[in-house]
Amino acid sequence: MVSENKHAPDVNDHKLLELLDISKFFGNVTALEDITTSVEAGKVTCVLGDNGAGKSTFIKILSGVHKPSTGQYLIDGQPVEFDSPRDARDRGIATVFQDLAMAPLLSVWRNFFMGSEPKRSFGPISWMDSEFAKTTAKAEMKKMGIDVRDIDQPVGTMSGGERQSVAIARAVYFGARVLILDEPTAALGVRQSGVVLKYIRAAAERGLGVIFITHNPSHAYPVGDRFLLLNRGKSLGDFAKSEIEITELTRLMSGGAELEALQHELSRGR
Amino acid sequence: MSMGEVAGGLFQQIWGNQMTDTIVESGNDEVVHDAKPVIVTADERIAFRGPIQRVLVSPEIGAIIGAVLVWAFFWGNGAKFGTPGTTLIMLDSAAPLGIMAVVVALLMIGGEFDLSAGMMTGATGIMVGLMVKYFHGSGSPMWVAVGAAFVLAGAIGYFNGTLVNRTGLPSFIVTLATFFVLKGVVLVIAKRLEQKVQVADVKDKSGFAGFADFFAHEFKPERFTGRDVAFVVLAIGAFAFGAAGLCEQSFVRRTSNAMKSAGARIAAGAIGVVAAVIAFVMLQRTDSVAANVLWGVVAAVGVVVGIVGLASARYVGRDTPRGGTSLFGDKDLRSTVAAGVAAVAIACLAPLVLDRDERRPILTWFPNWLRLGVGIIAAVTGVAIALRHLWPRLRERFQWYKPIQVICFAGIVGLLLLGGVLSFLQLTTVQALRAVVMMVMGGTGIGLLMLARGRAAKAGSRAQLQIGLLAVVAVAVLAFIIRADSNASRFRSGLFTTMLLVATLLLANTILESILVKRREASAKADRLGRRLVVVAFLCGMAALIVRVVFANVNGTAEGGAGTSIARMSIFWWLLATVIGAFVLTKTKWGNWIFAVGGNKEAARAIGVPANRVKVALFVTVSLVGCFVGVMVLTRFGSVQASQGDGLEFFYIIAAVVGGNLLTGGYGSVVGASVGALILTMSDSGIAAAGWNQDGKFAVKGVVLIVAVLVNNLVRKKAQEAR
Repeated sequence: MVSENKHAPDVNDHKLLELLDISKFFGNVTALEDITTSVEAGKVTCVLGDNGAGKSTFIKILSGVHKPSTGQYLIDGQPVEFDSPRDARDRGIATVFQDLAMAPLLSVWRNFFMGSEPKRSFGPISWMDSEFAKTTAKAEMKKMGIDVRDIDQPVGTMSGGERQSVAIARAVYFGARVLILDEPTAALGVRQSGVVLKYIRAAAERGLGVIFITHNPSHAYPVGDRFLLLNRGKSLGDFAKSEIEITELTRLMSGGAELEALQHELSRGR
Repeated sequence: MSMGEVAGGLFQQIWGNQMTDTIVESGNDEVVHDAKPVIVTADERIAFRGPIQRVLVSPEIGAIIGAVLVWAFFWGNGAKFGTPGTTLIMLDSAAPLGIMAVVVALLMIGGEFDLSAGMMTGATGIMVGLMVKYFHGSGSPMWVAVGAAFVLAGAIGYFNGTLVNRTGLPSFIVTLATFFVLKGVVLVIAKRLEQKVQVADVKDKSGFAGFADFFAHEFKPERFTGRDVAFVVLAIGAFAFGAAGLCEQSFVRRTSNAMKSAGARIAAGAIGVVAAVIAFVMLQRTDSVAANVLWGVVAAVGVVVGIVGLASARYVGRDTPRGGTSLFGDKDLRSTVAAGVAAVAIACLAPLVLDRDERRPILTWFPNWLRLGVGIIAAVTGVAIALRHLWPRLRERFQWYKPIQVICFAGIVGLLLLGGVLSFLQLTTVQALRAVVMMVMGGTGIGLLMLARGRAAKAGSRAQLQIGLLAVVAVAVLAFIIRADSNASRFRSGLFTTMLLVATLLLANTILESILVKRREASAKADRLGRRLVVVAFLCGMAALIVRVVFANVNGTAEGGAGTSIARMSIFWWLLATVIGAFVLTKTKWGNWIFAVGGNKEAARAIGVPANRVKVALFVTVSLVGCFVGVMVLTRFGSVQASQGDGLEFFYIIAAVVGGNLLTGGYGSVVGASVGALILTMSDSGIAAAGWNQDGKFAVKGVVLIVAVLVNNLVRKKAQEAR
């Protein structure tokens, strides 16, 4: 089992975000232990793990919901400590949660600017600049490679992949430097997953660091530049793409030796 | 340079030019090599929506259609309904409900209810009344009492909101508790101080007159010499701007070069417009039949020539001739058209059979043998429906108990249908039936014709023009039938003129639809201009209506008799509440937050919307506006019952629901809620005006509620399918 930290220090690559030996304990439960990884600008770091591997805790630490019990959280090489998700967002860490943070009956542009509405005012009266909001939302969506013809369309009428793209485009527009995606392909079909993977790549091409959390190695491998594997709160390793093949990734991911033992047992039982 | 372009330019400066262009390609082939390359182009599943379809998806459209129908129904049934005088009285009595419906709708869209809202109006009214009379022995000044009431109301709203946020209990429970507490406290205090449950005699207290003037001022109709001219000008303006706005949103603009070569069309259009305006002015001044006919024809021709001429100069014409089958080629189209014509024919023939002055219920009007016949037919039809429904299942697997089950079920259905038919026949007069038949059949027939026209247009068939002309003829024929048949002036002149105007506009519309190219994609500039023109048209129409109602004409008589129109301040407050509510909801960030919190509270909070603050603000607003309404009612009548507002909270919610607001939150409209309140009040005063049994109003409200919700759902579903 590979356990040492394998990423070589590289002076040229600017590390936007870095975790050093992060652990999290809840009472006597160890949720995460000695996790180390990093995200560079324009690169995608995939975090793989089965159910109960500690992915949720990992996201919550990154997005500022929890503080790590031990270890260091670095942004641009500076250690930081977040008190709330808002702190993290202010530093450019944007999280797109699985439920997408959207109101299904609201139009695309209203969802896009939800919570950060553009303002115009005349004297003491100020209102929302819906003209600007509509054109901007449309343009930003187009940059993600999706042409929303009717920006007034309720988000609920869009497909899952398109909704992911709205959430990603929104995070990018509002100055995210690191984008954390929580299982964006979990509830999607093959084709839709492909669309979302393309958006992930598109976000990285635009210079963002992306942390892509998933349990599906065949989704992670095509887009990822770096892979962090989690199992029961521990790191199974942090690999650059050149260091690992998809078969090995899948094997490690699905429990490796444990699965082999299970297969053996099953075949004997038959 | 629009803001969007600015943003785009900034983006290119920051990320470089090629980046925006190469995202799609690089993402496609190199990276996602195991998935099929995904082509992200314009989503062909989302069709362009024209102005009409866009209106149809708005939440309040069902309510507005409903309001027009309810209005038309009672307008046809009660001579006292719908005159300016009675309308103003009705609006005044609807104002408290309307104002509260606006804020309750906001709260509902935010995902909460306030059951204490109704009692709040009563409690604050009572509190002000009692303070003015008894505080510190001799009573406090009015402004102190009103100020205290507002503070208390705000505190209660804050309490409601905070409790809901903190405990996570349903607001239904929390505000129900508040409601009971308020009710109990008010009853105890009022009874102890007044020995009864009414607070009266506050009119002579200090400061009362000022507040009464502010909250419930009464406007007597002023004389205004230019009333009729102003009305005509505003009405023409409304139609002109409305037509221009709809055209702008429907058709494709020509290039400016092409427009220069269309001088002849512009000239023809201008002549048409001038002729129409002159004709409308002359129509106001003449009384002789011959002159009326002459100017009427001139006006109609002028309107059509004007609209068609100007529009064909501005928009791109169709250069390919329409192909396809004619009217009688398409079987499907033919049957729809036939049904439409038949329905209009029934509407035209109804007056022959059904007597205008017959006030007896239909059942007693029938000859004896027919009554029995109708009963038998209803029962047999019910049984047949039930059997038809059950037959396949019965045949599938025969068991001994099945026949009995079926017979019982069929019997029950038969009885239900029989009961329904008989009570309808017993409750409805021949007179009402006549109105309903003419309205429903005429409306259905013309609706079917328009539907067929739309289908023909979609198929690019030349039947579009033929069916459109048929619809124009149908409207005109109906108008003349109504004029010939009726003896009430409101039908003979009012409805007749309106329908002829509709026929004229329909004619212009039909011609335009068949000679111009319809726009198939969104154009921000044209859409914006079109939208603004429609808004201006709406404002002109409202102004025309207000001029007509508020001012008396030269003779000093207001519409509907001398001195009958009394506008009250309450109507203005209602209008203001609606405008502010609609502005806040659709145009400000607070509105966006309300939608967001009601639609998905956790999501809204996660993205940075202060969800709890929004909810508390909503509860406080409802309470404060409740207090406003309470003071308004107190100053309006000079007294207030302890039961004032008790139970009204449900009507606020009903008005909001009728107006297209979802009970689950996250979707809705303030304008809809206002219209919903109007519908509820109209059904009350309409029943009174028609001279029907007053106790039936609850039944009518129930029917209105269920029909409105069904229509809302239907319209929303249809509109979403249509895109």
